[in-house]
Amino acid sequence: MQRGENTPYTVHQLWVLIILGGICIGLEVGVHLFLRTAIGYTHIFYILLVLAAVWYYKKALWVATALVAATFLSSLAVGDFNWATLLRASMFLLVTYIVARISEERDRARSDILAQKEAIEKKHFALIGYLSEVTLRIKNPVKILRDNLLAIRMEFDGNGPDLDSVKMELSAQLAHTEQILANFQELNQQVIEEQSEIPDAYREFLTR
Amino acid sequence: MQIDFSRLGDDKLFLVLSSAERLKKNNSHIIHTLTGQGYRVVVITTNQPSAVLKRLYTADGIDLKKVSFIDAITKYALGKAPPGQEDCRFINSPSNLTDLGIAITEVLNSLAGKKACLLFDSVSTMLIYIPSTNISKFIHFITSKLRLVDASGIFLAVEKGLDPLLLTQLTTYVDNTIDMDVILEGSNEKQVQ
Repeated sequence: MQRGENTPYTVHQLWVLIILGGICIGLEVGVHLFLRTAIGYTHIFYILLVLAAVWYYKKALWVATALVAATFLSSLAVGDFNWATLLRASMFLLVTYIVARISEERDRARSDILAQKEAIEKKHFALIGYLSEVTLRIKNPVKILRDNLLAIRMEFDGNGPDLDSVKMELSAQLAHTEQILANFQELNQQVIEEQSEIPDAYREFLTR
Repeated sequence: MQIDFSRLGDDKLFLVLSSAERLKKNNSHIIHTLTGQGYRVVVITTNQPSAVLKRLYTADGIDLKKVSFIDAITKYALGKAPPGQEDCRFINSPSNLTDLGIAITEVLNSLAGKKACLLFDSVSTMLIYIPSTNISKFIHFITSKLRLVDASGIFLAVEKGLDPLLLTQLTTYVDNTIDMDVILEGSNEKQVQ
């Protein structure tokens, strides 16, 4: 799934964040403004900030900024704006940034691994395709050749073969053999061009 | 042995599978059946020189006036076309698909309106000369041509000489597939009973 796609899962994530955001604002208003205490409830803000950072990376800093603004406003309204307010606000931003960076790195590494896996699978499929073509163009023609020669051999079992026909048939089989050899050399050439670690002596043997 | 081409007419294109050692005999049986049904047959040969096939057909009592050839192996194997074969078109090599295509088009055009059938001998041998993807494309080209001129076509192949993917592709191009060895085994079983 790509980020930014409007799937039921992302809609669900958005709803979780909206509800948590509502709870946080409710706590800020209810606890800070009415109960006049700034202790304890802000820990719940971290649930919202961590989830937002995991799902939306650095975009979550906007949520953190909104919470910082709400905290500042309520502190100014209540009149308890001090170093603890500033520390709380900077922790909101710092935690959100760290979680966003870690999530981003983790997902990037995961997508790299997936891309590598896909590339390996692609190479593997190409190799299978190559091997089946080799089988088709080398092994099966050799079989056909063998069976053709067997058929020519069987002509000698009758009343005596037509020698001119046999000569022409053998010439055709020779032509097939030469082409099979040429195919084999072409395939070997392709293999050694791909495989730089093959020693020169073997390389020469394969293309001889 | 009579080959069941009773559906020839309803079905136009056939893929006929045979063992390699019976390929030549089966080729002759098919020609015998087709000429017996009044077909004018064009044999495209990449496996056996046309001169060999002619001798075989004559020995099997086939009227050679009803058979013409597109020979892609003789020139390649012997270096030159033998004299006295005016009814035969020679192609330089089985891998020369352009010339082969032109020859097939010309022959099919010359037989327009007649009861004609094309016999391709064999798809398996073509694998020695060209990649399977090109064979598939070429057979598709021929089948399309045949359908356009409303002619019949039979593609001979060695049963175990094709990979499943190519076999599947060829099967989709034709109307029917006939396994000659199964027919032969069946007829032998009947004889035993």
